[in-house]
Amino acid sequence: MLKKQLIALAIISFTSLSAMANQAANIEVLNPFAREVPPTAMASASFMTLKNTSNQEILLVRADSKVAKKVELHTHINDNGVMRMREVPHIKIPANGETALKPGGLHIMLINLNQNIKEGDSVMVKLTFEDSSEKEISMPVKSLMSMGMKPMKMK
Amino acid sequence: MNKYIIAIIIMALTIAAATLLYLNSNNNSEERTAKMISQDKPSGGDFTIMTNNGELSLSDLEGKLVLLYFGYTFCPDICPTNLANLSGAYRQLSKEEQEQVQIVFISVDPNRDTPERLQQYSDFFKMDMLSGTSDIQNIKTISKNYGVIFLSHQKSEEDQYYAVDHSAFTYVIDKKGQLQTQLPHATTPDQFIESIRHYLSLSHP
Repeated sequence: MLKKQLIALAIISFTSLSAMANQAANIEVLNPFAREVPPTAMASASFMTLKNTSNQEILLVRADSKVAKKVELHTHINDNGVMRMREVPHIKIPANGETALKPGGLHIMLINLNQNIKEGDSVMVKLTFEDSSEKEISMPVKSLMSMGMKPMKMK
Repeated sequence: MNKYIIAIIIMALTIAAATLLYLNSNNNSEERTAKMISQDKPSGGDFTIMTNNGELSLSDLEGKLVLLYFGYTFCPDICPTNLANLSGAYRQLSKEEQEQVQIVFISVDPNRDTPERLQQYSDFFKMDMLSGTSDIQNIKTISKNYGVIFLSHQKSEEDQYYAVDHSAFTYVIDKKGQLQTQLPHATTPDQFIESIRHYLSLSHP
């Protein structure tokens, strides 16, 4: 009797464990980057597109990085030209869909940087999903200034 | 049989009426927003801020097309995005054009933004930007004149990592110090260049 229960318990925990591993495994991360910021900025941001390959909605609930003392999920609300930045409890990635984290919108805030991040560096960010599965991503640091420039035309 | 036809006609008419109503209400709201903007057009005007090289007034810059932006150096995304776009535009102007343009940054966060810090910030963007701030009362007056809204989220004096909501427009001021227009957040370098050239061409005799 007890044996059966144990086996059942083992099966349940095994299935839930494998489900746990699934959310992170079902997320593809496209074009991740962190932004080089002026030396005065205490915060930078990390951007990427999150692609959900499963047919269930997935929530990104947390992010961590060694480059910053505090990491938060944020969004910007454009309120008649006033940009209001707000922390959000999670970022939703729809079933079989994509969510873009991009300048002026959703982003991962790297607050109180431990080091000045510069173009050419790479930054590690760990994403945690609702089921506590994790995904660690290495991303390049891109310069703001080259983002503002068009590629040089060849003459 | 007739009943069905009448029902279909009634349904079609209802849909048409609803569509008309919807389109109309949309038009009205667009008009309202447009009116609101024109009625609220800020007056702009002279101001004086403290930079790392002393006091700077808008009137000191007479003869230059001024692009004015309000923000704060701790700003993680909005200000750097806008200023990098402005820089991209500035660096694509000819030398003659650059000499007629001055980019000015006013910090709405004098609590953290010292003139030295603002100088470092300016240097990063490589567009000879002049940046400064003032006491909060003066900043509020300047903001009111330009229609700028800002709100600090500092929770306590110990809190040094707070965000500040702020209007993200770039204000275009002609060579005589008159506020001409405001460009929205996410204006591209090309759009900045177009606007700069437009207002430079207007100021030629």
